Amino acid sequence: MALKVLTVDDSKTIRMIVKKAFQPYDCTLVEAENGVEGLAAATREKPGLIILDITMPVMNGVEMLDRLKADADLKDIPVIMLTAESGKDNVINIVKKGVRDYMVKPFKGEDLIARVKKILPLAERAAEESPEAKPGKYFTQIDDIVVLTLPAKVTRPVTVEIEGSLQAKVKEMGEASLKKLILDMGGVTETNVSLIKLIISSIQQCQKSSIAVKLVATPKQGEELKGFQETSALPVTHSIAEAKTAF
Amino acid sequence: MTGLDRLDLKGFVANSVRGVFQTMLSMSLSPSEPPSRETLADGRHIVGTVGFAGTVMGNVNLFVSLEFAREMTAAMIGVAPEEVGGEEEVKDVVGEVCNMVGGDLKSRLCDAGFPCSLSIPTITCGEHFQIESKGWVRQERLGFKNSRHAALLEVYVKSSQ
Repeated sequence: MALKVLTVDDSKTIRMIVKKAFQPYDCTLVEAENGVEGLAAATREKPGLIILDITMPVMNGVEMLDRLKADADLKDIPVIMLTAESGKDNVINIVKKGVRDYMVKPFKGEDLIARVKKILPLAERAAEESPEAKPGKYFTQIDDIVVLTLPAKVTRPVTVEIEGSLQAKVKEMGEASLKKLILDMGGVTETNVSLIKLIISSIQQCQKSSIAVKLVATPKQGEELKGFQETSALPVTHSIAEAKTAF
Repeated sequence: MTGLDRLDLKGFVANSVRGVFQTMLSMSLSPSEPPSRETLADGRHIVGTVGFAGTVMGNVNLFVSLEFAREMTAAMIGVAPEEVGGEEEVKDVVGEVCNMVGGDLKSRLCDAGFPCSLSIPTITCGEHFQIESKGWVRQERLGFKNSRHAALLEVYVKSSQ
């Protein structure tokens, strides 16, 4: 059964980042933008986990936490505070109230997931459960090398789709003892932030599974990648053949 | 000034801004001479503000051009700038960045013996407007830039005692 996670934050952007962090896992996200809405959602949904901001309008996170802990039906729901406030007294005060963990913004989605995993087991979403995850759509195989071919335009939805597909593919590669992947962006027509993030997340995902990655890009794209800090030092090859030789 | 003058506000805030941009936006900012508001205000711009109040009072203002704010939004939510939705999304991101910088400063003030509370962020957006903060004991102005844009951060603090 999917874990129900309630994220309470007045920033839609933060709720979106939290939601995205949980996307690979078998979780259902419920959102609220202040303490009052959060309490109502907690009562209605009985989540298995609450990610709670402090500074919010209407009712702040500390008051919501007090009310949760005073409610016999809700007091045992684990709460992780996710807040910009990291003062020692603040942290001590919150911890005394019974939160399970305390995470300070700025934060990365993967760091939040690491904290959650210390409290609760997170089951990865099965590939067939996710409509976006269609392993094979972007993948081909040459000998023992898997090729991930990026589409002409990489937008945010495409990034999400490919990240989901890659997760399933990496698992499949592990089972088949395949350890080489070529990331082919030669057909991409526009170098944008979504593309950069996708390249980085793909490389990181492969590295976690000890899969070697070679990037194929046109010379123009290679120059464009140098303009982004995250990809400025990435070695680039200019054809599949060159990438194969580089392994 | 009850010890406020001994705090390295500039250092706190400079580290905080760079940390927030790096972690949340994967964007590197370098310190620079504080740009004039007129430079930043050439066209539509946006100002995020958070206040803190307690034994110290103050506010933090982050000034960026609307174009930079859209790029910040795109970076934070992981889309191309042209895919960023309406202005509400941009305001939310600038407010949240300001909240993180202000929250860090507030926490450091608390740790230094100046307990205070943080306000929720407010956003001012438009052309040809000025924001004035008066009566503060300390004021710090910090400039930041990347290859395309500049940002100005102002911090105002006074003791409430």
